[in-house]
Amino acid sequence: MSDAPINAPAGGQTGSVPAKRKLSTKPHSKADRVFYGLARGASIGAIVLVALILVFLLIRSGATFGQQGIGFITGNVWNGSVNPPVLQIGPMLWGSILIAIIGVIFAVPMSIATAYFIEFMANKRVAKVATVIVDLLAAIPSIVIGLWGLIIFTPVAAHWAELLNKGLGFIPIFGNSTGNFVGSPFIAGWIVAVMIVPIITSVTREIFSQMDRDIINAALALGGSKSTSFFKVILPTGSGGIVGGVLLGLGRALGETVAIYFVLNLSFDINWGQVLENRGGSVASIILSKFGEATTQEISGLMAAGLVLFVITLVVNWVAAWIVNLAQPWRR
Amino acid sequence: MSPQQLRPSMDPGNLPGMPRPTTEPWRIPNPSRRLKVTLASVLPMLVAVALTFGFKIDPAVGLILVFLPLQIIASVWAGRNIYGRKGQDDALLVIFTIFFSAFVGVLLVSVIWSVVEAGFKALSWQYLTQNNVYITATTSLQYGGVAHAVLGTLMIVGLTTLITVPLGIMVAVYLTETREKPRNAVRTLVQAMSGLPSVVSGLFVYSALIVGLGLRYGGWLGSIALIPLMLPTVTRVAEEALRLVPQELRNGALALGAPAYRAFLQVTMPAAKSGLITALILGIARVIGETAPLLLTVNYANNTVWNIGDPMASLPTYLFQYIGNNYDTSLQRAWGAALVVLILVAILFTAARLVSRGKKARKA
Repeated sequence: MSDAPINAPAGGQTGSVPAKRKLSTKPHSKADRVFYGLARGASIGAIVLVALILVFLLIRSGATFGQQGIGFITGNVWNGSVNPPVLQIGPMLWGSILIAIIGVIFAVPMSIATAYFIEFMANKRVAKVATVIVDLLAAIPSIVIGLWGLIIFTPVAAHWAELLNKGLGFIPIFGNSTGNFVGSPFIAGWIVAVMIVPIITSVTREIFSQMDRDIINAALALGGSKSTSFFKVILPTGSGGIVGGVLLGLGRALGETVAIYFVLNLSFDINWGQVLENRGGSVASIILSKFGEATTQEISGLMAAGLVLFVITLVVNWVAAWIVNLAQPWRR
Repeated sequence: MSPQQLRPSMDPGNLPGMPRPTTEPWRIPNPSRRLKVTLASVLPMLVAVALTFGFKIDPAVGLILVFLPLQIIASVWAGRNIYGRKGQDDALLVIFTIFFSAFVGVLLVSVIWSVVEAGFKALSWQYLTQNNVYITATTSLQYGGVAHAVLGTLMIVGLTTLITVPLGIMVAVYLTETREKPRNAVRTLVQAMSGLPSVVSGLFVYSALIVGLGLRYGGWLGSIALIPLMLPTVTRVAEEALRLVPQELRNGALALGAPAYRAFLQVTMPAAKSGLITALILGIARVIGETAPLLLTVNYANNTVWNIGDPMASLPTYLFQYIGNNYDTSLQRAWGAALVVLILVAILFTAARLVSRGKKARKA
């Protein structure tokens, strides 16, 4: 809009030109101010909520961090009955990461294959049904997956683990000296994979479906086969989005609580990589299993564990959002 | 594999002034090719099944070490025979895609099927209408049910929805309808909230309000613990929905002299209605099965509780309570509750799909 002077209204006093009206983009009616005020208030409320959680966790866990020092995340003793208590979550932290990594290793090929199948191979009707199933599975509560994992899947997976141990037991990570294959990080990793496959699949499918068909057709027209167009065109073009989706899944895997609580044998005896042995760790699950009879100091320790988990998940999610944004310029 | 079909626009028969070709060369039946493809898809399975059962090999081993290699060899042979080297790579791609997709399909269908199959055995009118008083882990399934848990879930999630949906939609309004500077910061923070592990949210409420302020366990505390989990979903979906409303509609309303709030309430919001309802539904679906926060803040109850200030049952905690016991009856109760949760989620999702389909139909 221009700043041209506004003429006096017709019928007004002649000769006196009213002062220039100030143009502004600010809401000028009271109702609008209330409306925008409400919107701003809601946003402030959301920010305050995040800040409150973070600050509160920081304050409450401060005592533990001060008392335990770096040993909190490296040590492997949890004893709340001595004074001062020794609270260390090393095995749990490593266990969470290990399970998330196993889950992602299982989930990535399955998800990319499923997304490729839905987007490029299946006919329309099959693709539609598959999409609905995948989306529905993303919404199945983790406690239901936990029940399925404990009753139905654990015996099957323990059997697989036994076979793996028999065939490949000479490789250290498939070793198992106890002969007990239940409650291992291997099984927990499978459970986490079942939960994150729908997430990674739907992100990857979205990326595939938004992809410019012309470059794929161009690759085919230049004499490429379906496999070369997949490995040299589709994957590199979509890699950013796929990595973002994988990190989103990783974030979910790290925060998973009840399902892992049921299928994993939580142990402070650190399990560096013998994924078939029946001991492992998970920060979220240890919070659930300890809070009931925890002393005040132990609760502070659990808060600290929660904070560490939150920070790791936050970093993973932010990196994911950033990569997905880079990979999907059309969403901006 | 059939060669890719041409798009209609590229079909020479559709071009003006071109005589339609009498035959379509890519459709000429080729018996030897068809035979090879059929052989490559059927033979490995038959041989693998025969070997696996003949030598009593473990099915898992048979699948990975007998069937998969045979299938790879057969498909590579067929692909190479028909299309040359190109076909060989394509055959591998197809085999691995189908193998992994089928594996995902089996896992996912197994989850749904086992819940439906075992859940239906527990389901009965009395199971849906009675509560859990006088019921122990070994009580026969003829007594007791999940009505109190369904009621608790509805009350807890209902309160969360009442708080979170207006809040989330107003945040979405802030993100789409205003041009204020901190929008990006708000968006980033709300998305960061979606990374909050649910158990940490519960722990926050537990330690701040129950240990800190000395409040007692209660349904409303569970509602509070669910807010940070639901808010990011509602905000993100509502933001997408509001963003889809054309800017011209808003400008038109404003140009007609409507104040911004009426432009929003009477033009933008009705236009985005189905998207906002989807936000509501997906938000509920996100939190309806959350277990850990409720365990930390609500505690259990076996009787029907109408006061949201008291400890109460909810479906996820009911499930949690019964998974822990290793009795058949108790596990059957758990499967029944899992089926009820699944049905609730499925209803919500069908509703969401119907709502969003209505939107698309109107657009077309």
